[in-house]
Amino acid sequence: MTRSPHRRLGPALLLVAGIALALAACSTQSYPNSSFTSNSDLNIDINALWDRVLIMGTAVFIFVEGLLIYVIVRYRAKPNAPMPKQIHGSHTLEIVWTLIPVLILIPIAIPTVKTIFKTQAPAVADALQVEVYGHQWWWEFRYPAYGVVTANELYLPAGKTVNFTLQTRDVLHSFWTPGLAGKRDLISNKVNHLWYTPDKTLTEGAFNGFCTEYCGSSHANMRFRVFTVSPENFEKWAAHMKTPAAGSPAALAAQAAADSAAKKAPKAAAMVPTPAPAPAMDAGYVFPVEKMGAHTIPRTPYPAGLTFDDNLLGQGDAARGRALLTNPANMGKAACLTCHVITGEQAYVNDDVARGPNLTHVASRHTFAGGLFPLDAAHLAHWIKNAEKMKPGTPMTVFGIGQYSPLMKANVTVGLTDAEIADVVAYLLTLK
Amino acid sequence: MATTAAPAPAYAGSHAAGGEQTGLWSWLATVDHKRIGTLYLWTALFFFCVGGIEAFIMRLQLMQPNGQVVSAEVFNQLFTMHGTTMIFLVVMPLSAAFFNFLIPLQIGARDVAFPRLNAFSYWVYLFGGLFMTLPILFNSAPNGGWFGYAPLTTMQFSGGLNIDFWVLGLQILGVSSLAAAFNFITTIINMRAPGMSLMRMPIFTWMSFVVQFLLVLAFPAITIALFFLQFDRFFGTQFYEIAAGADPLLWQHLFWVFGHPEVYILILPAFGLASEILPTFSKKPLFGYNVMVYSGIMIGFLGFGVWAHHMFAVGMGATADTIFSMATMLIGIPTGVKIFNWVATMWGGNLKFTVPMKFAVALVALFTIGGISGVMHSSPPTDLQQTDTYFIVAHFHYVLFGGSIMGIMGGIYFYYPKMVGRYMSETLGNWHFWLFFIGMNMTFFPMHFSGMLGMPRRIYTYDAGQGWDTFNLWSSIGVFIQGLGLVIFVYNFLKSRKSGAVAPNDAWGAGTLEWSIPSPPPEYNFAQLPVVTSRYPLWDLKHPEMTADLTHSAPDQMVITDSHAVPVHEETERKTAHELGIPMPFPTIKPLFAALFMVLMVGALVLVHAISMQVAVAVMITCAALFIGTIYGWLTSPLE
Repeated sequence: MTRSPHRRLGPALLLVAGIALALAACSTQSYPNSSFTSNSDLNIDINALWDRVLIMGTAVFIFVEGLLIYVIVRYRAKPNAPMPKQIHGSHTLEIVWTLIPVLILIPIAIPTVKTIFKTQAPAVADALQVEVYGHQWWWEFRYPAYGVVTANELYLPAGKTVNFTLQTRDVLHSFWTPGLAGKRDLISNKVNHLWYTPDKTLTEGAFNGFCTEYCGSSHANMRFRVFTVSPENFEKWAAHMKTPAAGSPAALAAQAAADSAAKKAPKAAAMVPTPAPAPAMDAGYVFPVEKMGAHTIPRTPYPAGLTFDDNLLGQGDAARGRALLTNPANMGKAACLTCHVITGEQAYVNDDVARGPNLTHVASRHTFAGGLFPLDAAHLAHWIKNAEKMKPGTPMTVFGIGQYSPLMKANVTVGLTDAEIADVVAYLLTLK
Repeated sequence: MATTAAPAPAYAGSHAAGGEQTGLWSWLATVDHKRIGTLYLWTALFFFCVGGIEAFIMRLQLMQPNGQVVSAEVFNQLFTMHGTTMIFLVVMPLSAAFFNFLIPLQIGARDVAFPRLNAFSYWVYLFGGLFMTLPILFNSAPNGGWFGYAPLTTMQFSGGLNIDFWVLGLQILGVSSLAAAFNFITTIINMRAPGMSLMRMPIFTWMSFVVQFLLVLAFPAITIALFFLQFDRFFGTQFYEIAAGADPLLWQHLFWVFGHPEVYILILPAFGLASEILPTFSKKPLFGYNVMVYSGIMIGFLGFGVWAHHMFAVGMGATADTIFSMATMLIGIPTGVKIFNWVATMWGGNLKFTVPMKFAVALVALFTIGGISGVMHSSPPTDLQQTDTYFIVAHFHYVLFGGSIMGIMGGIYFYYPKMVGRYMSETLGNWHFWLFFIGMNMTFFPMHFSGMLGMPRRIYTYDAGQGWDTFNLWSSIGVFIQGLGLVIFVYNFLKSRKSGAVAPNDAWGAGTLEWSIPSPPPEYNFAQLPVVTSRYPLWDLKHPEMTADLTHSAPDQMVITDSHAVPVHEETERKTAHELGIPMPFPTIKPLFAALFMVLMVGALVLVHAISMQVAVAVMITCAALFIGTIYGWLTSPLE
């Protein structure tokens, strides 16, 4: 070797500089999906263990790599060096460094076992029960105690233990909210559980959730949001969510009944200091969009080659839109209710077999399509026109006339015009 | 370069003059383990470039949020094929290249036990690899992930031919691996030179020996898993049919009972190569040879008891999680011992940092990082935040790239002079090493962060503003740097065959038998079989002071049954096998055709879905008849 050792150090220094630069560049950003949080009891346990393995791991890293660098520098061959001492081994040393890993592993192993049994014990009896169903590629959330079925946005009362029952309607998925806790898989023909308690201070927390088990084409597009809210707001939200859809026969009937009750007993009503509003009238609670944080507002771009005229959106008529969905005469071109449930309207499927999300209060959600797009008129219109382009592989029908449908392997002829899509969008936006 | 200053041997430059065959036919019909090893090497390096291009495209897509380089469908094929290719078509066959080339040379044998079966293994690998890889050109490559979790891979959720190619391709490759494994077990047990007891075998041969048993024991598990899936897809059975009440964990358990030992199948040969390189360039024997052997066996054994640590999120229950967690932590012990023994080997030596030495030291440094992150997710609660995120991608690339690929690259630079008779360029090699070393760290280290900061694996896109942009940009730049390193390596590999400095028998001053014979070795390897009296026969000959402390068996204490055996010596003449009266196996093309017909026979199952059952059955029966006919010809033609 004729080259000087300094030239060899060059690339190594470059690497160190590179890593330092990377860390410096990173420090200015925030990490909204970080798993290093104390946002739930489960994550506090996880991070206590993590801190331990990180300290042990860092110590081992510094020791071994330091030793290696020392050996590399110290024992680099020198010209005319004598033959080194020939050592074939040492039982003492080998026993020592068999024991070192044992000593490092014991303090990791003991709390690991304790935490496994603690976190996998059955949840407390009064925990909020939430059923999670995975679908290709969206999330269904049910609150059986409240009779609520919703999709892609999960509301949790801060400070209350929530016990998730995890199931899948098709292939395997995995339920993960890195900012709140670890993940658990959704396995066909198996019911899994995961429970934790979001910290009670998180009364306006917004978190991203992800599917973390590869589940086909749009695995990357199977996201969800978790909103942690105060217990009072949670109750308000849940109470509204179980009401029938706005403008539906059931909602109108409930409204009429409430009105007539008010007329029949005006005195009784007047005697109540603050009259409780009729259920169908209650706007309920929706997580305030301004509290969501940039990371939970989707920024997925529109696909190339799919356009929708914004002017048409202003002309959309909710009544015409509702007729398109609910009038059986339109079943041929807008068979929405064969896959979606709108509680209070004519039902063709129930929630157990519906292939798409429950739309009863779709307009109270901030995102749709597996959390891929913000829920607004323009995105909904593009989605209805050609969902396949918006989200690869989605089972949602392509409705726009003239759009290519991979399912039919042809352009859509019986479907919706852009004006009709604007009507449907106007209707959907009334489903608060 | 001090190493190139050694005087060129008399026979240098006259390789073909040794009476050996040249030309295409000599390669198609070869049964010589060295040529088969070379074929494995070239083919695996070709697939390495393919897998590298797949990674390159993926990193282009993920370089920025909401990337638009490829579609979801193409990306899913890319990541499936990147994993499948790198594991089954690159690292395993690269190891097989060394098994083939080196094991007979290291144990002082003239060939493997079953030369034709050996050729068959190679051709099955080549045809099976092409069978799985070519569909990507037609946008129908496998797209279910390298792990192929049911029920996503069943007909209900994955119609089309994509998964068919994957299931059948893996079955085909399993045949290749199993045939080779039985061959090497037989070779190592039966064909060692006189005096080479098991505990005198070179450490690479030892690690390879362990790997062959892992192959024999692990492959049946995935074969069964794949047969179930194959029957589900083609013949309507219901092993993984959800509607019929199937439990998807059946697939996961069978797959990982194979899949975890597979990790050690991928890493142990690289450990073996590093254990040859480090002592040579430290001018010291391997520290703690016995412990290195035992820890290798221990790793192989424990490797079968940890599979469910891939499944901590599936809800196995606290008891199962605990057992598999503890078993996984245990495996850190023999691995840690190996790392300390490598460092102790270098301690006090005269370290000469040639390119192979740099790669071997990099293996120690980088595998350590992969080992540490491995312990981090051996704890199930922490694993719930890590599994299926980029943290895991970082972890196993430190193990498989930092470990296996770095070790194998070191092995290629180390053994190239033996294979080709010329050294690879050290200058280009240094460029390659540093680009790989810097590039791989730049690619994979940031993934630790992106994973713990919430980025899931196997996603073709991610949204802006998630805090992952910088890490992904670094990862992508790192891959471009690695790509540059790969180009330089390929150039060096091709160019040095003609222009490299001529290598003597003992290219680096190593201690084992393969260095006592000419470079490249004659077809018969050893003109006279060497009698081995210690672990480092060549050091016994050239540097007796290096092995003075070892127990030697005196030749008169040994029972030598082979009358041609002579004490270890350097072979300096290059005569033909005919001149020496050494019987050599006839070259034959039959293994190639047997492999071709077998691959066509199995592969024709895709016609069930592509055309019709009738056509598929007709093609399969035809190929089966041709296969049996070829095997008959193979078995009835004389060996030598």
